[in-house]
Amino acid sequence: MNRLHRFFRTPEAIAGAIILALLIVMALAAPLLFPGDPQAIAGPTLLPPFQDWSLPLGTDRLGRDVLAELFHGARTSLAVGLAAAAAALLIGSVIGTLAGFAGGLIDEVLMRITDAFQTVPSFLLALAFVSIVGPSLSVVVAAIALGAWTGPARVARAEVLSIRERDYVAGARVIGMHPLEIAFREVLPNALPPVLALSSVIVAAAILTEAALSFLGLGDPNRVTWGGMIAEGRAVLRTAPFLSVVPGIALMLTVLGVYLAGEGVVESTAVRRSLS
Amino acid sequence: MTVLAVSSLAKRYRRGGKPFAAVDDVSFEIGRAETLALAGPSGSGKSTIARLVLRLIEPDAGRVDFEGADFLALSGAALRARRARIQMVFQDPLAAFNPRVTVARVLDDPLRIHGIAPRAERPRRIAALLERVGLDAGLAARAIHEISGGQRQRVAIARAIATRPTLIVLDEAVSALDVSVRGQILELLLDLQRQERIAYLFISHDLGVIRAVAHRVVILDAGRIAESGDARAVIANPRSAIGKALVAATPRLTRNRP
Ligand SMILES: Nc1ncnc2c1ncn2[C@@H]1O[C@H](COP(=O)(O)OP(=O)(O)OP(=O)(O)O)[C@@H](O)[C@H]1O
Ligand SMILES: [Mg+2]
Repeated sequence: MNRLHRFFRTPEAIAGAIILALLIVMALAAPLLFPGDPQAIAGPTLLPPFQDWSLPLGTDRLGRDVLAELFHGARTSLAVGLAAAAAALLIGSVIGTLAGFAGGLIDEVLMRITDAFQTVPSFLLALAFVSIVGPSLSVVVAAIALGAWTGPARVARAEVLSIRERDYVAGARVIGMHPLEIAFREVLPNALPPVLALSSVIVAAAILTEAALSFLGLGDPNRVTWGGMIAEGRAVLRTAPFLSVVPGIALMLTVLGVYLAGEGVVESTAVRRSLS
Repeated sequence: MTVLAVSSLAKRYRRGGKPFAAVDDVSFEIGRAETLALAGPSGSGKSTIARLVLRLIEPDAGRVDFEGADFLALSGAALRARRARIQMVFQDPLAAFNPRVTVARVLDDPLRIHGIAPRAERPRRIAALLERVGLDAGLAARAIHEISGGQRQRVAIARAIATRPTLIVLDEAVSALDVSVRGQILELLLDLQRQERIAYLFISHDLGVIRAVAHRVVILDAGRIAESGDARAVIANPRSAIGKALVAATPRLTRNRP
């Protein structure tokens, strides 16, 4: 309760929460408000916005309903962003925990692998991965996670290194607990808070990466994505700029909202920590 | 019967690049239902010996025989299984537990790991353990940070006896407690020793406490044994310089036992 209070104290956090809430409502409402295929033709081509109230945001080059595409695009962005971030956090904390807890050679090997992944720009990694495996929603999620797990891995490892020296870990060894159970049941949960603090940045980056992949035509072809919409609109940028501008603004607001809300959460937990 | 026999134990660390011996040629034995105290100034190697005996760290040299078998030869599953017989109680009862767990979880772990009781029977066992250490069975549902320091140390003792060990290492186990609680915990330890015939390796810098609970004492100085013998005799008439200094630094000793 208290924490919620602190979260809603800063205007940034409130703004972030509102944007996120709208986005989630959009994503959830998309199949209800626009039950048909958003990629189906709905009217005349290149209808400008605010002309026909059955197509409030107009249509694109092929006559598809832009508002329907926007709503369905929110679904894809959010789903891919959250799934990729969750995968990155999971892989990162498992690898970081193993490295930090085991130490020695295992640590050395895992951290060299982390270094290797970190030196390759994550977007190039995603690009290469999708080009090789082929575009589909789960491949895109995997591709983004592949470039995003190294940060969580490093943070988890650092935290585990300090936690493993605590008495309670020695206590767990004394009662004969298996090292893997100690690592994942006793140590990992206590190492999570700083790792989870990275999630907003990772979700935001994942949404952007997904958009960029779709922009380059490497998104799932069966899904509407904001990146794909921007790319579509590019061909008629001079005559119908709104086709790129509308999804562009949606993308920007989403990333901003995720980031602001994430900061708000970190801020409110930081206050709690410094108080206790 | 000898429960623990330690001989020529050595552990070196590096300090400022140069190696130094935290524990150097230390030997002692503990018999069934016996309390051996380790005393010595800060940094004399008491905790290091405790950690060596428990295989939390590995020695550079020496032997540790536990219940007549080479304890250092064990590894993996065999070592984990053997750990049921040799337990530990830490100084800081808050640091000794995972901060997120309940009292029930703390006591459930050893029962589960060593297959002492099937799942359905464990709540009853946990209640019995809590009662054995003088706590209300209703405490089981509480989070570990929601009970007092004295209660927490009783939970630590309950966890240590859950697997019916023959030896418990207590590293400054009563030092963090206030005087009245300390007396009660010492009483509990003595009571458990009488009933379950548990041996204690009792580490303390407080000679008053040592005289009250220990049969024999080993006084350490810079990782080496300075002197050892019957606890009351050594404290009444220390021969080593460090023993004399420790006795002189404990004014309570001039009065009778606490
Ligand atoms: N992991 C380590 N690395 C380097 N030096 C260590 C390590 N652990 C202990 N030492 C050193 O070994 C010596 C003995 O430490 P130990 O903790 O056994 O002392 P102690 O007798 O328990 O002291 P206290 O009464 O303060 O608890 C100290 O000089 C300590 O600094
Ligand atoms: Mg110590």
